[in-house]
Amino acid sequence: MFPILFLAVCLILRIQAVYAIADYHERLLLRPLPHNSLLASFNFRSNASSVSFDEQNFRYFPRSLGQILQHAHARELHLRFSLGRWDSENWGARPWNGAREGGTGVEIWAWVEAETAAEANARWLTLTNALSGLFCASLNFIDSTKTIRPEKTFLPEGTHINQSMRNLHLLHGTLPHEVVCTENLTPFLKLLPCKGKAGISSLLDGHKLFDASWQTMAIDVRPVCLSEGCLLEMEQTVDMVLDIDRSKRPHDNPIPRPVPIEQITCDTSKSYSSHDSCYPLRKNVEPSWSLAEVFGRPLKGACPLESGEASSTVCLDVPSERSVHVQTDGSHHESKLNDNTSRCYKLPVGSNLDLVLPEQELAAQPSLAEPPLYASRSIVGHGQERGGVQATIINPTNDTANLVYLESLPWFMKPYLHTLRATVLTPGVLDMTQHAIKETHYRPALNRHRGTHLELLLSIPPASTLTLSYDFDKAILRYTEYPPDANRGFDVAPAVIRLESQSSGQTFLRTTSLLLPLPTPDFSMPYNVIILTSTVMALGFGSIFNILVRRFVGADEVDGRSKLAMKVLAIKHKARLLFGLLMLKIRGKGRKAE
Amino acid sequence: MILRFTALLLAVATLACAEHTSNWAVLVSTSRFWFNYRHLANVLSLYRTVKRLGIPDSQIILMLPDDMACNPRNAFPGTVYNNADRALDLYGDNIEVDYRGYEVTVENFIRLMTDRVGEDMPRSKRLLTDDRSNILVYMTGHGGNEFLKFQDAEEISAFDLADAFAQMWEKKRYHEMLFMIDTCQANTMYSKFYSPNIIATGSSEIDQSSYSHHADNDVGVAVIDRYTYYNLDFLETQVREPTSKKTLGDLFDSYDESKIHSHPGFRYDLFRDGEQAAKQRLVMDFFGNVQNVELESSNGGNETQWKEDLEHLQRIIDAARARHEGGREQPYLHNVDNDEAVASNPLLEQERAAKIDMENGWRRQAIGASALLGCIGLWLVGFYVDSGK
Repeated sequence: MFPILFLAVCLILRIQAVYAIADYHERLLLRPLPHNSLLASFNFRSNASSVSFDEQNFRYFPRSLGQILQHAHARELHLRFSLGRWDSENWGARPWNGAREGGTGVEIWAWVEAETAAEANARWLTLTNALSGLFCASLNFIDSTKTIRPEKTFLPEGTHINQSMRNLHLLHGTLPHEVVCTENLTPFLKLLPCKGKAGISSLLDGHKLFDASWQTMAIDVRPVCLSEGCLLEMEQTVDMVLDIDRSKRPHDNPIPRPVPIEQITCDTSKSYSSHDSCYPLRKNVEPSWSLAEVFGRPLKGACPLESGEASSTVCLDVPSERSVHVQTDGSHHESKLNDNTSRCYKLPVGSNLDLVLPEQELAAQPSLAEPPLYASRSIVGHGQERGGVQATIINPTNDTANLVYLESLPWFMKPYLHTLRATVLTPGVLDMTQHAIKETHYRPALNRHRGTHLELLLSIPPASTLTLSYDFDKAILRYTEYPPDANRGFDVAPAVIRLESQSSGQTFLRTTSLLLPLPTPDFSMPYNVIILTSTVMALGFGSIFNILVRRFVGADEVDGRSKLAMKVLAIKHKARLLFGLLMLKIRGKGRKAE
Repeated sequence: MILRFTALLLAVATLACAEHTSNWAVLVSTSRFWFNYRHLANVLSLYRTVKRLGIPDSQIILMLPDDMACNPRNAFPGTVYNNADRALDLYGDNIEVDYRGYEVTVENFIRLMTDRVGEDMPRSKRLLTDDRSNILVYMTGHGGNEFLKFQDAEEISAFDLADAFAQMWEKKRYHEMLFMIDTCQANTMYSKFYSPNIIATGSSEIDQSSYSHHADNDVGVAVIDRYTYYNLDFLETQVREPTSKKTLGDLFDSYDESKIHSHPGFRYDLFRDGEQAAKQRLVMDFFGNVQNVELESSNGGNETQWKEDLEHLQRIIDAARARHEGGREQPYLHNVDNDEAVASNPLLEQERAAKIDMENGWRRQAIGASALLGCIGLWLVGFYVDSGK
């Protein structure tokens, strides 16, 4: 009786699991970009129902992360590992509208449930420490000096009820200097149900990922409530822009070598072109590539844990005229979407799949979506004492852009808020009275306790450029506060910009991080002082000690000398007496001192 | 017959008591900057070796003070090589670095060894050993007479190290320890040890440098040190599988001073049973993961012991279940209900950024200016009244 009941319960649970809640999806989007670049956008999504999560029954959701979230009472988590810069002039709009990318280094923000702010801080520290162990990153360095509580920039992605929203604390921290490398990818892959052994994750190789022109790894955990019930959704995203030529170099010989002259097509229109001088002709063709070539390993079939209709696991954004050869032993399925500009492939189970695109000349280059904003930021000024920051935000669209600008500055960079200027430059309009800054949220820095938090609500008119500038002072650090590579400079976290748009979804943009040179002492100075002091002491002490311990012998005690020698000795004798007196004096002083 | 059997069992039991039940490795490189590539390659070579011989990532503490694999100067992204033939990628696809970058400090190292860490420290960053754990400690970097530099910013002295190990012994944090160090004047680093059961070896004597083995022209710097290279050479060629019976004596005898270009040193006097016993220890006792099962009693054991254990386990399960049932009222996720309005939490306000109102600012300045003028006026009146007298 009991086993049958148990089986029935299991079956019901299983049916529920399949049809209602727990599932896993993965998707890879490949889009060739100008200048021989290729955008690869990996997305993995897994779910756990709130009930099973509370009972610690994990199926697709990784247990290691789930337990950390429960322990730290984190309701929503966003974690980013990024390298490089998205070249929006050449590559156009960002993937996911920038919502799945972070600033250079490591960025983390989370909604933590706590009764008081102090409790939230404690839980935040627990969370960052636990994640530092899980992801092999120095996230434990996110202390109070690197943590801020953004007001307007970040909005929760998940559904939180109002009751709990009251006790939810948003905390945000960045480590702009943190390196991102294979040790961060290893735990990232271990969180996936197929662990990089099958499915699109089998393409993720640290050697190619960390050789990319731009890459970002993201983990997003959020609660989602539907009519059937609540579930916890986890999304893992990897976006990278690969240089096709660079990626195709063999793994054991990646150093670029000159191409043999026979393989170069010369531009004969140049005046100096002759049999021994050649200007390479720029070929206006799409380069040839295949999945195995650019990712360094084959795509090992579908992940069997993927649920539902996985008809479009790998999608390719190429014009319909581009020829694509599919190489596989198993059965695959191709479907075309979006007016033939996108084709998707269903992966075979248990056999490799490769997409091969030959070199081809295209009639028209596919147009790229224009980014809604351009932003850059730099340090201006000179000297060791003070400096300035200038940020330029360009709105190329024909609508007014309303945006939130967030800066989280380290405590040793002290901005003056009264120097904050925002100037709007619209071509053809001479109106300097525009107020670009709508609202300012500010929390000043405290030395060694917290950094500056500056959040601005800005509005940029159509086709205009906003220049934001402020001055700051550089603090002088204590000797022990300097890192081992102090002369490299100190990294300042990127500014985060969120565009408030009417359409659903959030548009984010991040500037690059800044390198701030601080006045640095000569670290060998203490050693120089010690050496010099020792030398002086040795000289002084040595000569006095010499006088004290030398035994002077009288002239008459030495026999067999000439008269002249005796006279010289007599003078020496007088000198000895003088010295003797001096000696006695010094000894007497020494006794007194004792 | 029975007597002989019990005697055998007893012999097994005493043997078991002398053995270790877990293996840990602490692998530390202490040099930052690209030109010290070889120190990271040294430590990663040892990491690959102990991993190959069976110690899991959870029992290896790897400290890398700089990032060589993803360094912009590295022509081979995501890789670290220890040989110019570039046959083995030490970084590979599966690596877990426990302490990296600025985390590699003398303080963190000593805290790790003595387990004096904060409560938030994750388990992967702790050395969770006991008195039955064998530990391999390997260090490499730039050193001198009785010190080893950390990141070119601070030093650990031989005394600090000796005291840390003594504290570990007092806290029952190791059974036996193999200390290996590859640095200039390395043998001075273990000269101050005074706690028992440590076998120590170093690459060079006092006033001797420890040299690099060779450079890779495409990497651009030296890729491995001599002492580590010949250690690895032995481990790769002689200790091929976990069943290897090679002893530490074999390893130490393989050192050829003409090849290493310095005089490796050994220290056995701290070891419980002396030099011969130390030399008879298997290489696998420190570089591999040998899980010895220990029987608590030799003759049949307590019949009721396991039943008590089982009952205790059941109680734990019941308690957990009760806790879980009790916790049902506050599940992790809630269903949507929009009844209650959001109210700002006053306790939160003090931690937040303040909204700055520019117009309000002008008003405040006006108030300030008028207050100042009022004060001046009062003072003038007082002055006038005073002078009138």
